[in-house]
Amino acid sequence: MESAGSPSADAAPLTGGDVAAGTETATTNRHDVAVSVTGLSKRFGDGPTAVTAVDDVSFEIETGSIVGLLGPNGAGKTTLIKSILGMVLPDAGTVRIRGIDVYDRPREAYAYVDAMLEGARNDYWRLTVRENLRYFATISGVDPDSVRDRHDRLLTQLGLEAKADVPVRELSRGMKQKVSLASVLAGGAEVVFLDEPTLGLDIESSRTLQRELRRLVEEENLTVILSSHDMDVVETVCDRVLIMSDGAIIADDTVAALLDGTDRHRVQIASRDLDAAIVSRLEDRFAGIRVEPYDRGNVIELTTDSDGFYELFDTLRAAGVTLERVRTIEPDLEDVFVDLTAVDRGER
Amino acid sequence: MSQRLREEDVTPQPAGYYHLARAVLYREFLIFVRYPANAIGGIVISLFFFGVLFYGGQMIAGQALTDSIEGIIVGYFLWTLSVGAYSSISNDIGSEVQWGTLERHVMTPFGFAPVAMLKGVAKIVRTFITSTVILVAMILITGTTLELNLFTIVVVATLSIVSVLGLGLAAGGVTVLYKQVGNWLNLLQFGFIVLISAPAFELGWMRFLPLAHGSALLQRAMVDGVRLWEFSPTDLGLLVAVAGGYVVVGYAVFQYATRRARRLGVLGDY
Repeated sequence: MESAGSPSADAAPLTGGDVAAGTETATTNRHDVAVSVTGLSKRFGDGPTAVTAVDDVSFEIETGSIVGLLGPNGAGKTTLIKSILGMVLPDAGTVRIRGIDVYDRPREAYAYVDAMLEGARNDYWRLTVRENLRYFATISGVDPDSVRDRHDRLLTQLGLEAKADVPVRELSRGMKQKVSLASVLAGGAEVVFLDEPTLGLDIESSRTLQRELRRLVEEENLTVILSSHDMDVVETVCDRVLIMSDGAIIADDTVAALLDGTDRHRVQIASRDLDAAIVSRLEDRFAGIRVEPYDRGNVIELTTDSDGFYELFDTLRAAGVTLERVRTIEPDLEDVFVDLTAVDRGER
Repeated sequence: MSQRLREEDVTPQPAGYYHLARAVLYREFLIFVRYPANAIGGIVISLFFFGVLFYGGQMIAGQALTDSIEGIIVGYFLWTLSVGAYSSISNDIGSEVQWGTLERHVMTPFGFAPVAMLKGVAKIVRTFITSTVILVAMILITGTTLELNLFTIVVVATLSIVSVLGLGLAAGGVTVLYKQVGNWLNLLQFGFIVLISAPAFELGWMRFLPLAHGSALLQRAMVDGVRLWEFSPTDLGLLVAVAGGYVVVGYAVFQYATRRARRLGVLGDY
């Protein structure tokens, strides 16, 4: 009996000739590449109304890592993920999953990959949790009887054991999200794409999901590409972050390096001398100032770069403001993201 | 999965087409038995319309209707089969888009073609069950006797509705591309009445359309008691060719539509 596309000799680790020059990132070991994207471009429409959703994107993703894909709405994240999966046909570029070209040999590549796209709705709500796991394991090319233990373990780890025989439609949103994740992992995919996996989850469910993702990566060498608007999720679970803007990758580094490398400083200054006139002058110069009353004056909080920092204090000194309290706040990933995307859009 | 998992588990075995067929058919079975309201609703509505046709026709046409009741029952049976196969496959594809499961079926190492075909087979099996219930009820209501050679009926009826399955696949493809056109495409099922009625007239070139030739053979099988092996090779060959032709064309349309949807980036959008 013929079986579904199974790993072949071509799925061996990449050799030097497999990847275009100049696409390897500092964090990637060439011999452990799970996903390799080279020169990927996708344009929708023609003429002046055409939109370049993905613009000559290249990167590699190391096996056993979680990579976050960040970007403002319309940055091209979903199109990029769907292009990698072959759900959107790109205009140019190649994608290899475990060394297999997704466009030339999709059936072989799909033996290694699965995806949870756009939230929870990617399984059958009228089937039970376990039935979904068995069905999607089969669809992904694995005999469900041979992975029964894996399913039991997934159900336990995701806290779904007691709900295994309950139709998915009767579960809470958080549970449904976990079922989606479990069904994506049911066939033993080595590379999974998760688009907004925590969308709509309460804090506790989101944290549980994050913990489980981290554990699966660390213990089972899973490779995860995660797209999310939730910066906390990305900062907490991702080893590396790709930031997209207008279809291009504008930053590609570890979370720590992005935080260290940013020239953004958030400062909070309290003074009774900060009257309405000075605050107004500062608001003209610095975007996004938060102002709160303080004694007879105000507390201001703003984020700026080094030049802005100097200018701020020069302005305050010239106005004769006595600094009663100055507090610097460590930038978080959101600050880095806002900074990088603002620079890319020419807003700074 | 990882080396660690491989060591812990019984080695995951690849699934073959047997496992795929089992999974797709079992899912269909589960939905059928767990949520019978849809199937029962379909049966009740079909019988209601048949009742209106039968008793209303008797009042208007009297003996003329009684004389042709066998043909009407066979035609109605084939129509319920056709509508079931067509709407279930085209609506199913629309639902899969809505549920976000279509992309997972496209992204399978089996390739989407076998999965779509097996889903079609599952729909035909399900439709046969409901249409058989309707057929038995119609026979009981009218007190008619028909030649019910199971083998002949199953083969001829299946090949007849396989052509409709091709239309369903094409309609599903159009739904993937243009989304909210499902209701318009459902109107096509009323065209099946014309095709099924075609044997009442001179078939001519219409025998190459879906259902028409199959309907003629099914009438002969169920009304006149003709067995499968008693049909001429030309008749059987044409039945198979029409079935295969429309499935191939339907699948080609579906493939074209999904490829275009991938090119436009709308596969899975709803």
